Amino acid sequence: MVTREDVENIALLSKLFIDENDLDKLTEDMQNIINFADTINKASDESEEFDNINNLENVFRNDVVKESLPVSEILSNAPEQADDHFLVRKRG
Amino acid sequence: MKYEMVAGFETHVELSTNTKIFCSCTTAFGAEPNTHCCPVCIGLPGTLPKLNEKVVEYAIMAGLATNCEIAEIAKMDRKNYCYPDLPKAYQISQYDKPLCEHGYIELSNGRKIRITRIHIEEDAGKLIHNHGDTYVDYNRGGVPLIEIVSEPDIRSPEEAREYVEKLQQIMRYIGVSDCRMQEGSMRCDVNISVREAGSEKLGTRTEIKNMNSITFITKAMQYEFERQVDLIEAGEKVVQETLRYDDATNTTSPMRGKEDAHDYRYFREPDLVTIKVEREQVEKIKACLPELPNKKLDRYINEYEISEKDSALLVKYRNIAEYFDKAAQGLKTPKSAANFILTQIFRRLETEADKEAFDIKTLPEQLNKMCKLIESGKLKNSLAKSALEKMLDSGENIEKFVSEEDMAGLDDAALTKLCQDAINNSANAVADYKSGKEKALMSILGFVMKNSKGRADANAVKEKLKELIG
Amino acid sequence: MGLIKKYHDLLVKKEISCVELTQKYLDEINKSNGDLNAYITVTDELALENAKKVDAKIKAGEEISLLEGIPMTLKDNISTKGVETTCASKILSGYKPIYDATVYEILKSSGAVMLGKTNMDEFAMGSSSETSYFGGSKNPHNLSCCAGGSSGGGASAVGGNLAVYAIGSDTGGSIRQPASFCGVVGLKPTYGAVSRYGLIAYASSFDQIGPITKTVEDASIVFDAISKYDEKDSTSTGSNYETFNTLNDDIKGKKIGIAYEYLNGVKDEVKEAVLNASKVYESLGAEIVYFNLKELDYALPVYYILACAEASSNLGRYDGIRYGYKCEHYEGTHDMICRTRSEGFGEEVKRRILLGTYVLSAGYYDAYYKKAQNLRGSIVRAFDRAFADCDVILAPTVPMTAFKLGKAQFDPIETYLTDICTVPVNIASLPAVSVPCGIDKEGLPIGMQLIGRKFDEKTLLNIAYKYEQSTDNLKETKWGVKL
Repeated sequence: MVTREDVENIALLSKLFIDENDLDKLTEDMQNIINFADTINKASDESEEFDNINNLENVFRNDVVKESLPVSEILSNAPEQADDHFLVRKRG
Repeated sequence: MKYEMVAGFETHVELSTNTKIFCSCTTAFGAEPNTHCCPVCIGLPGTLPKLNEKVVEYAIMAGLATNCEIAEIAKMDRKNYCYPDLPKAYQISQYDKPLCEHGYIELSNGRKIRITRIHIEEDAGKLIHNHGDTYVDYNRGGVPLIEIVSEPDIRSPEEAREYVEKLQQIMRYIGVSDCRMQEGSMRCDVNISVREAGSEKLGTRTEIKNMNSITFITKAMQYEFERQVDLIEAGEKVVQETLRYDDATNTTSPMRGKEDAHDYRYFREPDLVTIKVEREQVEKIKACLPELPNKKLDRYINEYEISEKDSALLVKYRNIAEYFDKAAQGLKTPKSAANFILTQIFRRLETEADKEAFDIKTLPEQLNKMCKLIESGKLKNSLAKSALEKMLDSGENIEKFVSEEDMAGLDDAALTKLCQDAINNSANAVADYKSGKEKALMSILGFVMKNSKGRADANAVKEKLKELIG
Repeated sequence: MGLIKKYHDLLVKKEISCVELTQKYLDEINKSNGDLNAYITVTDELALENAKKVDAKIKAGEEISLLEGIPMTLKDNISTKGVETTCASKILSGYKPIYDATVYEILKSSGAVMLGKTNMDEFAMGSSSETSYFGGSKNPHNLSCCAGGSSGGGASAVGGNLAVYAIGSDTGGSIRQPASFCGVVGLKPTYGAVSRYGLIAYASSFDQIGPITKTVEDASIVFDAISKYDEKDSTSTGSNYETFNTLNDDIKGKKIGIAYEYLNGVKDEVKEAVLNASKVYESLGAEIVYFNLKELDYALPVYYILACAEASSNLGRYDGIRYGYKCEHYEGTHDMICRTRSEGFGEEVKRRILLGTYVLSAGYYDAYYKKAQNLRGSIVRAFDRAFADCDVILAPTVPMTAFKLGKAQFDPIETYLTDICTVPVNIASLPAVSVPCGIDKEGLPIGMQLIGRKFDEKTLLNIAYKYEQSTDNLKETKWGVKL
């Protein structure tokens, strides 16, 4: 059973605001999706754990420095920046 | 009622690899903001991590040095939480399959502090708060860390101090981290609770986060211990919460607001593959580990017969111990090399940082040679002392300051002549001595020693003077 | 002959210049993109600039590779340095990557001429391209129908002759389903064959890049070019074989499997078209074997649980600090991040983030995420067993033909159900190709799906090619722009 509180809690974890007016509808939607997801619990569980897709192991990189990008490029998409930092102002 | 402190540590140690854990940016400290960054470590959409092999190797070294079992299969997981210093909104870490588990560190009182696990993960960036505005620098983002988690086995701030110092010492010895707390390359979170002494039950614990000085750690623990005891005595309950320590007021205060509800939703990192640690690799790493401080300490005390206190000074920093080991090679009494280091050489190293660096001009082989000359009786201790000063100033060999002739010492004829000359020139002192003032002999002796340019042996001179004065 | 070789020959013989060819496609985009909404960004200047370079090379008598000078397009979730890459989301509006995706790097160095970036469902989450912030792409066969999704823009562009081929991505059918709807070929390679570096992640363990083309031959040429090992992607393997030289190999004696479960709930016309294809195969000397694959019953929820879980984590990074959209009014950092995300993501994306967060959160992880992960293992093993008895599996690509615009928005679960034939392949990391196999009563294309063994794109494309060659589905008139 998905409750309004559940939805509020996962919205907080997801960093999403849910409009109070949409909460009931969204709770219902989530309940439907969870009911759908619940069908897996009818399947018998072989409980053999799934590893990574192609069972790859030990893919590593050598510890050799490559040049970083210029700070101007690093910041080029920043909505706001100052003094070579990404910036979040107190309010906007 | 008597209460007991129960504390466990989560210690973050930044590894001193050349590059970050998942990209090839440098880990160098102290650069201009956002200049050690690339698309991967600022989490641009579409970028993928690639694990630095050295990080795995260093973590295994740390595990072996703290008596851990090394996992055969390890994996990486995502720890999800959204914060501006974490560019992907998840930290790549290890959850249920860490690289190392079940180790311990032994304290000088014989108690073993169990290490639950050591895992690898990435560091976050740095936030600078200025009048409510937040400036973000991702240079530290992606620097490799190991997190060393202990069991709640620590019982006092003193044990905590020793535990942290031991960790620091071991990590420096094996060369995986410089553990500079003031630069943030070693940080501690402490879980702390109290219980009635002798009880087996654990009380409600609080967690003091992110401390970067051993003094603060011990003060914070003491404060928190007393705070919890006061609460219990007053019949109140300790609330499980995360605290921050304020060194200005020496108090702890709750850290998080409601908006940071935490549920890390760990799951397997799909962008990275399984880590399989071959046993041969572990053996190879084990074979390359240097002798660890505890082992060295035992050896110095038991084999070299150096006092516990002096031995501790020698093993404190790897550079000193390695210097000493080389200087002591093949000596009948390694203690003599230790004495030169702990007196004359230490006098020149004022700060702890100087001692740690142990940057001196004289090579350990040069000191070793000098000690061997003393052991073979060719060089008098007194002469050696002054020669060592000159060696330390210049970096030159002993031969530069002490000639063959000097080393040969004085034959009886030369000694007799020097003493007779001194007696002839010290009529007053001779008279004083004869009238029973024993001390007067010392001034004549000093005269002889000076004129012999250190070649004379003080005891021999004393005997000779007594003989000549009669 | 496929379209790529056809244009290649014309370029080499200097019957058309690369600039002319590129201009023809740009003209076609100008004319039809208003209707089809296939492109989000058209990079006309860049395309003509690159075309000129190819012409100079040809003029200098240098040899050019098959893909050199061929006008193509990339889905807008593939990073292109300096060219806006939006994922069809408001939250990435204005974002210009500072690096190239590996697949684009490879194509650029092969001399490909990129015409622009194509439309898609927002963050590749959808089956109709209608969750795009820029509006849905339409079906070139019927403008009142959707192009499918999520790579709807690419399929619409190739089907509508606005590009020779398109590079798409397929997480649960996002290449094959729109290819099927738009009457073109769509190949989802084995997971790992094509580097994901630079592909903006939806669900990392499912996402795979692949081509949308007019013909199987074209798909083979593009696949051979892009399926290279990439050191930047830890899950990259590259492909074991080239597929091109064996396309026309005899398929006599090959075993083609049909799982009953794939035919459940499938529209009659679609089922009929797929079964007709099996008869074509029999006539080519292949053997048809029927079998059960009951693990398919829970493939959809397994897919949605795992894909959304990964998505909820992958999409956490859009916080208005480093790139993309940032809300205008806020009070404090937490408020800024929440507002930015609430304003920047569309409804379907939010729904999937919430579902993903839910199945990973304390108390639900075991019942959903962990259970689904275990069942993923069961599905992988079920396919392994199936492939012991056949070389490829034949199935419908989608249980129906293209839906009317607006229909997909109505009921999320209903829409999820249309992915039933495509998601099992992503769960098991297998290669699969959708090939046109008929037209329904309304004139909409029907696609069939061939599923291969892991890393055996060679057999897969060989079998697909033989079918294509023996039917009259290839009509010269539908081929490319008018020259």
